[in-house]
Amino acid sequence: LSDQAIAGKQLFLQQAQPGCGVCHSLADANAGGVVGPNLNTLAPNLDQVRSAIAQGVGAMPAYGAQLSANEIEALATYVVEATR
Amino acid sequence: MPSLSRRFVLKSLASGVALASNHLVFSSAARTMPTQKTTDTFVVHNDLPWALETRRSQFGFSPITPASHFFVRNNLPMPSESETSVGDDWVFEVSGCERDGQLTLAELKRMKTHVVASVLQCSGNGRDFFPHDPSGSQWSVGAAGCALWTGVSVADIFERFGGVKAGMSYLTATGGETLPEGIDKETVVVERSVPLEKGLEDCLLVWEMNGAPLSAVHGGPIRLVVPGYFGVNNVKWVRQLAATQTESTAKIQQSGYRFRPEGESGGPQHPSMWRMPVKSWLNGPGADSTPVLAGPNTLYGVAFSGERGISAVELSADNGQTWQPAELVGPDLGPNAWRTFQLSTTIPVGEHQFVSRATDAMGDRQPRAAEPNHRGYGHNGWEDHALTGGSCVGVTRAAATSARGDPVCSHCCNPRGVPQCCLVRSGNRR
Repeated sequence: LSDQAIAGKQLFLQQAQPGCGVCHSLADANAGGVVGPNLNTLAPNLDQVRSAIAQGVGAMPAYGAQLSANEIEALATYVVEATR
Repeated sequence: MPSLSRRFVLKSLASGVALASNHLVFSSAARTMPTQKTTDTFVVHNDLPWALETRRSQFGFSPITPASHFFVRNNLPMPSESETSVGDDWVFEVSGCERDGQLTLAELKRMKTHVVASVLQCSGNGRDFFPHDPSGSQWSVGAAGCALWTGVSVADIFERFGGVKAGMSYLTATGGETLPEGIDKETVVVERSVPLEKGLEDCLLVWEMNGAPLSAVHGGPIRLVVPGYFGVNNVKWVRQLAATQTESTAKIQQSGYRFRPEGESGGPQHPSMWRMPVKSWLNGPGADSTPVLAGPNTLYGVAFSGERGISAVELSADNGQTWQPAELVGPDLGPNAWRTFQLSTTIPVGEHQFVSRATDAMGDRQPRAAEPNHRGYGHNGWEDHALTGGSCVGVTRAAATSARGDPVCSHCCNPRGVPQCCLVRSGNRR
C-alpha cells in the first residue's frame, strides 16, 4: 500500500462513522459487512469510491461532512489499492 | 428516412464504448443469479445488493415484462430465505388508523382483490447518460419494466382497522430488510412516504407478479405498488404500513431520492422522486450491437407516463428535425402501464440512429434533454435514448439460415467498402 492508502486504511478501520466495515466486506481490512457491496467483488475505480464517500449512494450515507477532501482521497485510494 | 449526421454517429459510438466497458467490469455475477434470471438477459451492476439491468435487446414487444426479464434494484440485501419463504404466514403491522393491528398474507388474500398494470422504474434509470458522472449504478434504459400486480388496496386495509385517524397526510411503508447492528436505523432503513391521498387512491399491497407468486427478489411475499411512481416508493418485503402525519424520518426519504441541482445535498426542500414523467425509448431492432439486415424493418419500443398514459409517440431518423407518427400496439393496460409502439420503415445500409418522443394524455411531451440534477435521477430526454447501430446487406454464406429459415447475421462487417452481414466476428466479441 502507498502511504496515502495506509492513511486511508486507518480511516476505513477507525475514523469513519458509521464504520465502513459495518456494511462492506474488504479482505485487506478483515471487514465482513454484508449490507453494502463486497468491495473485493466490486473493485471500484477511484472516481467511483471518491464519489460514493462524498455523496453517498442509495442507502449509503454521505461522508462529505465528516471527512476532509484529503481524507476522502486517502480512503478512496485505500479501497482502490486494497482491491487491485 | 433521412441520413444521419456524422456527429450523432460518433456520439453513439462513443456511448457504445462506455457501455462496453461497463459490461466488461460486471460481465458476471459473483453470486448465483436470482431464480429465473441469467447474465445473458441482464447487465449485473451489483450482486450485493442486487442491481440487475435488463439489456435493451432483451425487452420484448408485449406490454408485460416477464419476471425472468424484470430489472432488480435492491437498496439493501434481501431478508433471509427463512423469512421470505413463510408465504401466507408473512405478518405486517398496520398503524395510523382508529385501531392499530396486524395482518398476515393469508388474511390479505381473503379481502377484495385488484389487478393493476404498472411500470416500475428506478429513479436512476438513464443515469449513464448524464455527463457529470453522478455516483450510483450506471443504468442505461433497462432499470424499468411493466408487470401485472395482484393485491389489496391500501384504502381497504386501512378501512379494516377503522379508517385513517384525523390529521394524517402520508402513507408510509417500511421494508423488512435485516439492518446491521452498530448503525443508526434511520440511516439505512428502507422506509418511504407518499401523499396519503395517493395511497388511498390506487396503492396496493401485492403478492402476485404477472400471475405468479411474487418472488423474494422482487419483494415477496408482499410489496407495495404505488402506480405511476418511481421504484423506490414501491417498498419490498413490507413489514409496516402506516398512515402518518409527516414523511418518514429515514434518510432515504429525508435526503435521499431528492431531485436537486448538481453539488447540493438533498433535503426536504427538494422534490421527492414520486411521479414518473413522460418517457419513451426504442428497443429494436439493433440494440446492444446486434446487426440489422438493411431493408424493410419494424422499429419498436415502449412509452409511459405515470398516472397519465400515452397519447402519441413519434420517431425520427434525423435527430428530431423531422418526425413520423408511430403506431401504439397491443392492449392498453391503463394509465400506469407502458405502451409498445412500432413503425415499419426501410433502413438503409450503414450506421443509423433513431429516436422516439412520447406525448402523454395530458399533453406533456418528452423533452429533448433531461434536466441536470445531482444524483442523475429521472432522465427522460429523447436525444440521449437514441437507438444506434449498423445495418448491412446479405449473408456471406447462402446456407447460413436460422431454424425458421431467416438469414443469420452475427455482425456487420465492411470488407469491400459496403457493410455486409458476416457470420464470424474476428477477435473477441463481447
